[in-house]
Order: sequence, then structure tokens, then C-alpha cells
Amino acid sequence: MSERELGRKLDRCLADGVIKLGTGLGLGIVFSVLFFKRHTWPISLGSGAGLGMAYSNCQNDLRSHYLLHRNQKVER
Amino acid sequence: LAARVLATKVGIAGGAVYVAYDSGLLGGSEQGSEALQKARAAVPPAIEEWMKYFGLQTQLPTIPNIEFSPVQAWNSGVRWSISRLSEAPTKAGEMTTQGVQYVRELLK
Repeated sequence: MSERELGRKLDRCLADGVIKLGTGLGLGIVFSVLFFKRHTWPISLGSGAGLGMAYSNCQNDLRSHYLLHRNQKVER
Repeated sequence: LAARVLATKVGIAGGAVYVAYDSGLLGGSEQGSEALQKARAAVPPAIEEWMKYFGLQTQLPTIPNIEFSPVQAWNSGVRWSISRLSEAPTKAGEMTTQGVQYVRELLK
């Protein structure tokens, strides 16, 4: 993986992490206020799940360079 | 009545989850960064619309185009610190000799 490509992937990872953290936080707040009597745990659960999704996306993105993809023809 | 309250709550929560899913916030990295770009592009017109709606025709202070790029700052910061670290032993030797000279002159 060239450095430029790696840099782009890492940028995407960071942006994705911020988005998913914010989304998880928001959804956690919504659920906490609506269903769980303003407890803190849905908020932490939501943000944690968001971070985990971002981490998993980043992992797949970085690994995809070394995997063979279906749309590439295999030369025999 | 309790059933109606519950139904509204479920509706609001379900709507929030659907909006998050639909705008691609929960998808892959590509979708996420696309959504971020769209949001960033859509913020100034939205703020303008809101200002007009409230009758405030004041000129929104334009966010100064900050010439500060975190990436550049980080890179230059790393370079600076590593160069300082590489110069550190020499500098330390010089400073000790200077200090020893100074003390010797004091003791004369």
C-alpha cells in the first residue's frame, strides 16, 4: 500500500470514527431520554457501539488491500 | 393513554434510527465521509435560511478561512521534535561545559 493510499484510508477512518461516535451518542441520548428514564448507560452503549463500528470499518478497509476481491480476475 | 405515549416514543426512536440509517451514517467509511462532506456543504445555506426566517438580516460573521491544517502542523511538529532530540546530546555537552566554566569563574 502506498503512503498516499494509506494516508487517505486513515483520513477516512478518522472521519468515519467521528461520524459514528456522534451518531451513536445521538441515538443513545434519544433512547435514554425516551425509554430509559435518563440513565447514562444507553449513551455510553451508543457511543461505544459507534466507535466499535468505526474500528471494524477501518480494519476491513485497511485489510482489503491484501485480499483478493471477487471482481478481480484470477490468472491461472 | 399509556399505549399512545409508548407508540409516540417508539415512533420517534424508530424515526431517529431510520434517519441515521438512511443518510448512510451507519454504513462503510466511504458513505460516512460523503455524508460529512454533504453536511459541511449544507450548513451555511441552512444557517442563512434560519436567519432570514427569524428576521435577522445581520451579516453572519464569515468563519475565517483558517490556514491551519492539523496534518501539516503535526508533521512539522514531529520533524521539529526529532531534530531537537538529535541535537540534544551535543547541546547538553555544550551547556555543561559552559556551566562548569561559569562556576569556575565564580570560584576564582
